[in-house]
Amino acid sequence: MLKSGTRRLHSRRAPLPTPALTEIIQRYASSPPRPLDLASLLAFGRPVTRESVVCSVGYALAEIPRRLALRVRSLESLPFIVGTNPYVASMLSSYKESLQLLATYPAVNTLDENKLFTEALSSLVERHANDIPTMAKGFLESAKYMSPTQISNFLDGAIRNRISVRLIAEQHIAISHALEEEERPGNVGVVDTQCSPLHMIRMCESYVGELCSATLGASPSIVIDGHADATFPYVPVHLEYILTEILKNSFRATVEHHKTQRTMPPVRITLSQPIPGSSGQSKFFSIRIRDEGGGVSPSDMARIFSYAFTTAKNDHDEDGGGGPYAAQHVGGLANIGGGDTNLFSEITSKGLQTGLGTIAGLGYGLPMSKLYASYFGGSLSLVSLDGWGSDVSLKLRCLDEAGDATI
Amino acid sequence: MLKLVRTARPCPRLARGQATALSSHRLFYQNKQMELYAARATNRLTLRQLIFFGRAMDPERLIKSANYVRTELPVRIAHRLRDMQKLPFIVVTQEDIAKVYELYWTAFEKFRQYPPIVTMEDNAAFCHFLTNILREHSSVIPVLTLGLSLASPHLPPDDLDTFLRRMLISRISRRVLTEHHIALSESDGKKTAAAQGEPHVGIIFTGLNVQRCIDKCAGLVRQRGEGWPQVIVEGHVDTTFAYIKEHLEFIIFELLKNAMWATTSHHRGASSLPPIRATIAAGANEVSIRISDQGGGLSHTSVEATSDLFSFSHIRNAARLDDSRIGALRTVSSSPHGLRATVDEQVVRWRENLPNGFPQDAGADLGMETEDDRRMGIGLPMSNIFATYFGGSLELVTLDGWGTDVYLRLPKLGTNLEGIEV
Repeated sequence: MLKSGTRRLHSRRAPLPTPALTEIIQRYASSPPRPLDLASLLAFGRPVTRESVVCSVGYALAEIPRRLALRVRSLESLPFIVGTNPYVASMLSSYKESLQLLATYPAVNTLDENKLFTEALSSLVERHANDIPTMAKGFLESAKYMSPTQISNFLDGAIRNRISVRLIAEQHIAISHALEEEERPGNVGVVDTQCSPLHMIRMCESYVGELCSATLGASPSIVIDGHADATFPYVPVHLEYILTEILKNSFRATVEHHKTQRTMPPVRITLSQPIPGSSGQSKFFSIRIRDEGGGVSPSDMARIFSYAFTTAKNDHDEDGGGGPYAAQHVGGLANIGGGDTNLFSEITSKGLQTGLGTIAGLGYGLPMSKLYASYFGGSLSLVSLDGWGSDVSLKLRCLDEAGDATI
Repeated sequence: MLKLVRTARPCPRLARGQATALSSHRLFYQNKQMELYAARATNRLTLRQLIFFGRAMDPERLIKSANYVRTELPVRIAHRLRDMQKLPFIVVTQEDIAKVYELYWTAFEKFRQYPPIVTMEDNAAFCHFLTNILREHSSVIPVLTLGLSLASPHLPPDDLDTFLRRMLISRISRRVLTEHHIALSESDGKKTAAAQGEPHVGIIFTGLNVQRCIDKCAGLVRQRGEGWPQVIVEGHVDTTFAYIKEHLEFIIFELLKNAMWATTSHHRGASSLPPIRATIAAGANEVSIRISDQGGGLSHTSVEATSDLFSFSHIRNAARLDDSRIGALRTVSSSPHGLRATVDEQVVRWRENLPNGFPQDAGADLGMETEDDRRMGIGLPMSNIFATYFGGSLELVTLDGWGTDVYLRLPKLGTNLEGIEV
């Protein structure tokens, strides 16, 4: 038994849990999270009242810790050697902290107390913003201690869990704000009933375009056709994430495939609204992103949805060489040079802050987008015309009849 | 209109006074001959062998080829007969399947008893014999499909699909070998000149121009309807590769028909129709063709997954048992032309059915005769079989409410001929 007072840098031992924390983890992990249906979550916002907000607090304080406890358990179940990896270890302690915070949070009954609670939730979300790059780095370094399937299963569970936690947290934050200010038309918490893919695409286009030009020297334009003005109910941040990742791939592929040509073919996006009045099955909004970036070779096709597979050339050396993609690794240039003000590090640090990474390199874009897309029962598939380009077909569930969508 | 019977009959309805292999109990004991053949392994040729063999043709090689066909085909037919014998009794005694069984048995006997070919005259007679057999068997596809549709309550969908797939693939192989030999005999050992501007060896076109093929099929389909959508070809438009022309044409023809039909019915009444886009992509080892339409997608079908559209089973695709489908299959199976599954043959049938060779009205229900090939509903499953025959693939992706993309991938037969056998 070691004295809890001794602590050394670069310790190979995991920090010992306090008895109180152990008890909390035990308590929450042993009652598994109720599969929440989306309709119930949204119900707190329909309408937004003082009572519904207080109910929502209760819900958040019950369900989020349960899910966090599961995260802690699954991290603790990783092989010991993986658990000593500093990135994985920092994830674990960060989750434990958050769990402890929420588990010991005092009751919230007034709107002022709720304001404090909402702030606490927001900073919790903020603290976990870089989870994905951190996990990515940790697993990259630990790859030799776990099989690809193990890693993949762990990550699938982790990311899904993360999506749930954020949904619940952000739903509460959103309805709290709605109560304070005027509620935006069509907005019921995290779900925007009139989410406009067109608007989203243009937003992502400017971000990704900037990134692409900065990294690769040029970027293609986007042409939108189909039911361009159609809207559908969805969680905007999810759509934003998916579109950003797919556009990063398409833009990069287009630029690399046409680097010798002056005129670059645009990326064509087709939006399709489901036919109203069809059978009682769920409706899906379809988005097809078509590029002429040369396609994916048949040998790569089997691996594009696995974590940490990337066709971007990377350099495992920490000195940061390796071309335009090197800087995005957590622990590369961006993290080391804190005071560096060149455009590169600014973009990459901006990228890391928002959790979106840079144009390429982590190899998480497609598998995560697929997870996000299928979260509510939708799907994402990629078909390639080898030598010409790729089509990504995205189907997202319309969340008005959230019905049986579970979180 | 006659209400069509859907249930499988429990016993075959045979022409009175005619003893057939099926009705005779001697079948059981006479099976031995066939079993000897079925026990032999097939001797498959790679496509490379077919091409190289065909390039250096002379009378001696031609006769060798003839005897190969003569001895190889009964082995393969025997394998199919064994497959049919393993099906449930109630299935093979279904009227239409019984017909096919009969046909195969007769063909087996004829091949088994055919004397060896020694001279060029023998070969000419043999080619004549082969041509007759091909013609007799031209109705197998619709008859078999019809029979299996009607018998499908008695067969699990996977078994049905596997069985029919093996039958159709074997049929393609046998026809490839047969037609290749006939074609080589016709050019009679001369160095084949480029036919229609495209070099070929037997039925294998070594420099098949994809765009030309798409344009031809598009032209033929568009003749069916005034104002039908255009087909725009883009991508690597100069792509040529080695393939069997009839196969490529059949697939593209079927896919374009589907795309056109969907577009016209989705935009009924519109002044102009959105075009269909065909994109050709030449990869390292394969040629991809993507056909995109704006026909509204596949939400009107009741299948669970788009791959169910490739199934012949009514359990996967309930539309198979629609009266109009069954009726169309019956019509085609009883017509003298049958269905060889080639584009030229379909066009000939269209022209025969219509007085002036051109249809009256695009998109409207013209009645069973002229719409029969679309209504049979076997375009996609057949295309899938052809596409996968040499190791290619067919995939459908739909944008509900907008349109459908079909992705056809065919291996370049010149680059990787080793694993591809006929």
